[in-house]
Amino acid sequence: MRVMVVDDHPMWRDAVERDLAAAGLEVVAVAATGREALARFPAARPDVVVLDLQIPEPDGVAVTAAIAQQDPDVRVLILSASGEQADVLAAVKAGATGYLVKSASREELLDAVRRTADGDPVFTPGLAGLVLGEFQRTSDSPDDPRLTDRETEVLKMVAKGLSYRQIAERLVLSHRTVQNHVQNTLRKLQMHNRVELTRYAIERGLDADG
Amino acid sequence: MPAAVAVKDRLFLAVAVLRVVLLGNAVLLNIWHAEELQRPAAGVACLVLMTAWTGIATWAYAEPRRRTFRLLAADLGIAMGLLLVSPLVKDDGVTSSVPGFWVIAALAAWAIQYRAAGGLAAGALLAGADLARQEVDASDYGNTFLLLVGGAILGFMCQSLQEMATERDVAERAAAVAAERARLARAVHDGVLQVLALVQRRGRELGGDGAELGRLAGEQEHALRALIREQDEVSVAGGDTVDVGAALTRLERRDQVTVSTPGVPVELPAATALELVAATSACLDNVRTHVGTDAPAWVLLQAFPDRVEVSVRDDGPGIPAGRLDEAAAQGRLGVAESIRGRIADLGGTADLVSGDFGTEWELVVPRPGAGLGSAS
Repeated sequence: MRVMVVDDHPMWRDAVERDLAAAGLEVVAVAATGREALARFPAARPDVVVLDLQIPEPDGVAVTAAIAQQDPDVRVLILSASGEQADVLAAVKAGATGYLVKSASREELLDAVRRTADGDPVFTPGLAGLVLGEFQRTSDSPDDPRLTDRETEVLKMVAKGLSYRQIAERLVLSHRTVQNHVQNTLRKLQMHNRVELTRYAIERGLDADG
Repeated sequence: MPAAVAVKDRLFLAVAVLRVVLLGNAVLLNIWHAEELQRPAAGVACLVLMTAWTGIATWAYAEPRRRTFRLLAADLGIAMGLLLVSPLVKDDGVTSSVPGFWVIAALAAWAIQYRAAGGLAAGALLAGADLARQEVDASDYGNTFLLLVGGAILGFMCQSLQEMATERDVAERAAAVAAERARLARAVHDGVLQVLALVQRRGRELGGDGAELGRLAGEQEHALRALIREQDEVSVAGGDTVDVGAALTRLERRDQVTVSTPGVPVELPAATALELVAATSACLDNVRTHVGTDAPAWVLLQAFPDRVEVSVRDDGPGIPAGRLDEAAAQGRLGVAESIRGRIADLGGTADLVSGDFGTEWELVVPRPGAGLGSAS
């Protein structure tokens, strides 16, 4: 598995790189700034980008959006020290599929990278709470993507700290189905972001017909 | 004081509009009562002067540096002069003047430029001119009174507006400085958090004293993160509402209690928020008592336009079926009843679900004045 590590703190970058390499993952590139990350990304062709949000310009959210546009198959795992809620949510809307606080253990990090590579959204309960809040807040327009009752139920359980396995047991679903529900939630959140951007563009007369 | 200047500019703009409206009113009234004019040529001359001065004044007042005492004196002088010549222009016994209400524009200009004292002085001079041109009756007394009081009040209000604008300016600048300070602090905080997280991670791997260092770093990381989140959620709404999200976040305990919120302030009346947090805290105490002192628990806050929902979950063995009913039947109103009572007092509901997945409380509390304290 090819991994790229983006972090402006050399100590951190080295620690993460060492842990990943020790676990047999291939670190194909590292970068300390957003600019470096975007410059090295096309040649490195990683499967997973482990990305710190607070990096020198352009920041983690902008980098996520840029690389998600270049390569829709790349997976972005946000690794953030401060866990600033607005930033984390913005990164997920921009296309990141996982989020982990930096104080997580080496095992948690490796597990998160592997799951992210498999297309499995890595949610913390805190992130699930933010996403739930986002849908509850913005469901006033009929055009907006909405969560189904089942998706809301699954997301609520994630926010209440249940693992996918526990959710599957409790709702009598397969593990895969639970994963799909969470993936759909993220997809709708990103779609919602695009709807907002489109609406913004139309309002400002930036659309092609305007 | 740029804000005060902006307010003045806007007030003079309003006076310019007022002046044109009053001019139109005066012209129409003079045409309407043309038969009252003893000297029609003089009457027309007066109206031409008023029209010309309306144009000149509008141009002159538009620029702050042209608002000199000479301009204001000329403005007031013309208004007074027109009042004083009115008896010569109009028939004997006619009480209305040629300029009529048009003189108010000069009064307003004085009130804006020289505030309460200016408004009062201009009002007194106009009232004097108005009284001097005719025999005084009851309605003239009323006009005099209105000119004096109106001038003073208008001046006072203009002054207050300018002061408020200045205060708002200062407050906005203070907010901008605070935001910049927060931005700078964020960079420092981020660096500290990075190091604390690293110490924690390496410490755990080293074991022994290293693990202890790591644990201490973890505690500090948690405290700093809670502080940052609280600062982010400091509400500008102020007053007697409380952000229940920030209040619940304070219940978070490292490796034990996880609190998830919608990420935006959720305002509730202070008393309601306090009770809701107390009930949540009681649920968490219950987890510690019945599941274990180190047992993990999760708190989820959801905000809807009409209600807030707080879920508290643990991973414990659950409560055996019938146990609660049995306790209630024996008249032992335990913690569960006290939680239910607290939430019921707020007009909400508290439901307990238990199974092999653990125990879950669902606390639902209505939001007063749905829509007023909306989360967006």
